[in-house]
Amino acid sequence: MDLGSLVQITIWGLLAGCIYILLAIGLNLIFGVMKVVNFAHGELLMLSMYFTFFIHEFFDLNPYLVIPISVFLMAFVGILIERLGFRPIMGTGKLNEIFLSLGLIYLLQNAVALIWGTGSRTIRSPFEFDSISLGSRQIPLDYLIIIGITMVLLVLLQVFLKKTTLGRAMRATSQNREAAMLMGINVERMDMISFGLGSALAAAAGALWCISGINFNPYIGSAPAIKAFAVIIIGGLGSIQGAILAGLLLGLAENPLLVLLNALWTETANTLTFLNLPADISFLSWQNSVSFLILIIVLILRPQGLFGERGE
Amino acid sequence: MLSKLDRRFFLTALCVFVLFFLGCTQQSTDTGGGAVERNEIKIGIVAPLTGGMSTTGNDMWQAATLAADEINAQGGVNVNGVMMQIKLVKGDVQSDPQEGVKAVTKLITEDNVDILVGGFSSGTTYADSVVASENKVPFIITGASSSVITRRTDIDTSYFFHHCPTTDDYAEATLLFVDAVVKPLIYQRFNLPSNRKILIGIAYEDSKFGEGVYSGAQNAIERNNLNMEIVAAEKFKTGETAYQTVLTVLKDAKPDIIYPGAVLNEQSPLVLQGRRDVGMNSLFLSIECNDDPDYYTGVGKWGDYSIQESRFGPYAVPDRPVYKAAMKFKDDFKARFGSFPSMMGASTYEGVYIAAQAIENAGTLDKAAVRDELDALEMPEFIEAMEGGVISFSDDYRESKFLFYMEQLRWNESLGETRPVIVWPAHLKEADFVLPDWYEPGQ
Repeated sequence: MDLGSLVQITIWGLLAGCIYILLAIGLNLIFGVMKVVNFAHGELLMLSMYFTFFIHEFFDLNPYLVIPISVFLMAFVGILIERLGFRPIMGTGKLNEIFLSLGLIYLLQNAVALIWGTGSRTIRSPFEFDSISLGSRQIPLDYLIIIGITMVLLVLLQVFLKKTTLGRAMRATSQNREAAMLMGINVERMDMISFGLGSALAAAAGALWCISGINFNPYIGSAPAIKAFAVIIIGGLGSIQGAILAGLLLGLAENPLLVLLNALWTETANTLTFLNLPADISFLSWQNSVSFLILIIVLILRPQGLFGERGE
Repeated sequence: MLSKLDRRFFLTALCVFVLFFLGCTQQSTDTGGGAVERNEIKIGIVAPLTGGMSTTGNDMWQAATLAADEINAQGGVNVNGVMMQIKLVKGDVQSDPQEGVKAVTKLITEDNVDILVGGFSSGTTYADSVVASENKVPFIITGASSSVITRRTDIDTSYFFHHCPTTDDYAEATLLFVDAVVKPLIYQRFNLPSNRKILIGIAYEDSKFGEGVYSGAQNAIERNNLNMEIVAAEKFKTGETAYQTVLTVLKDAKPDIIYPGAVLNEQSPLVLQGRRDVGMNSLFLSIECNDDPDYYTGVGKWGDYSIQESRFGPYAVPDRPVYKAAMKFKDDFKARFGSFPSMMGASTYEGVYIAAQAIENAGTLDKAAVRDELDALEMPEFIEAMEGGVISFSDDYRESKFLFYMEQLRWNESLGETRPVIVWPAHLKEADFVLPDWYEPGQ
């Protein structure tokens, strides 16, 4: 494997990492402020794909221009879910919250299947045939745009959380809900905003992911949501920096690391023939297992996650 | 004014109601059920009617409905002098082996079906067909292509009848085409020695179906003594969305041709990522289930010049004796359901007719007698072309044998999509196979 291949695979890893990061940070925001685990977060990603697809198709708009619309719509959907779903049951027991979010998975999947059908959909990017040369390798322009947009969104999120009054209020609520209330922060408003913001980030992840050229259907949300859960546990519950690092770690582990491992194994088996190692073993189908392998290792070595604090 | 507690209760109840309502909307299981009436034949349609594969599953159900309604409109099935109407019962396997077992158990033990038709996804059918075997209920399998379904030895498969090509069948047709048509063009253009092997890279999903495609290709090479070699075979998770790493490893093995063991939602991103992201200037082969309008939309221009194996498709219909019947089925289906029937829909449509014919031949609903009649069936080919022009099941594994054709996808600028053109066999072809300018052989 040459260097060009490795760079190319690393870009794919970064792309996957970007999707995980956006999804995981949304989950983290909701959990951080509300202490609610939203199992239906992947379905918010899926819903944004459909919003992006139909707005793009109906108005014949450049899909990149549809992203802000989808993000806005999904923020509104998130606020609705918080107001109508989670707020009435907050404080009534964790089981209620868990079952509500599990129910939302089926509700959203079935609703989308009912309205738009279960067939696969694809969005065609206007830059579908454009790429950047990297020696003998080509990197699709869409991938670089997606990585760039993710970076911009992360910077904006950091600015919002650290430099604005609202962001500080959210962080304060996340750190100590009772103290925040005593300081005059309307924590229920913070819940609503965090759910809206979390949904908006899931929307950005979904829109960017479907523009990258994948096929999607109403059931696509579960797999990335599971990865996002792994990301926030690896990164540390409630930590944005942890989610960014863990998202990149998973994206890279699932792509270049596995390819390298594959090449290394084959080379070892072919060189050290006296060991009788089977050369045809492939690690590529371990893409999903590797996330959880990393998760287990992190949990053993640092149970609070890479950036988490003890006791969280 | 409602108290906060009342509002909370109301909203919770509303959520539960909406959840229940929407959940149930997609989950209906039965068109009838209840007691068996003596003037009807109950056929259980085993298909994924909800879940990720429900597009195909609903297509199978709709096709079965069309067949049953046609038969009923003609008076029904003559069972020993009594005209019986066909009643279809849904068995929703939800694209899940466990749900498949539950659905088939319910069809057999509660709905008391006389025969089963359908079965989509080799993994699911592998699991749920066990129930049919244990209860000795004839099962005409029309949507699961792995040959292990009827060739397994751990259970009694004598009640299974495979009316769907096996992975061995279509791998053979595909590789024979590559050997006869594609190989000479590659060797001629690149001045390759005639004794050089055609190098094949396989990417297959980690399922019974994917494994069937891989072993089907191996068997086809061995059985036909083809001068071909599988230089790399990489597995991917079923339903995967990112194939770049798998394709990079395949590309490094430098194959001439890529043969994916992939279904509809996998094949188009696989081709797109292979051609665009990994820069593979190889020819991609495609399995028959992808001859579907969604595939042509999904794969876009990246599918240009790729090769599609088929037996029944939405766009290219070969000029064969079954042409008129196939067109009528497609037109009737489209008029009634507003879409093209899938290949699984076509075989399920035939499956209902096969079931009706076997019951009529048996003159009874006795399952053993119906099984015997299926075994002895000699029915004229219907909407899909069969070997010898008849639908019959082989003596060894009770598999019917289809006639295949190969298509090449060509970009249609005005449609903004590719469309298939039949390129093989010679007596059916609409155009010659074209080796694209950008094609690069492996090494």
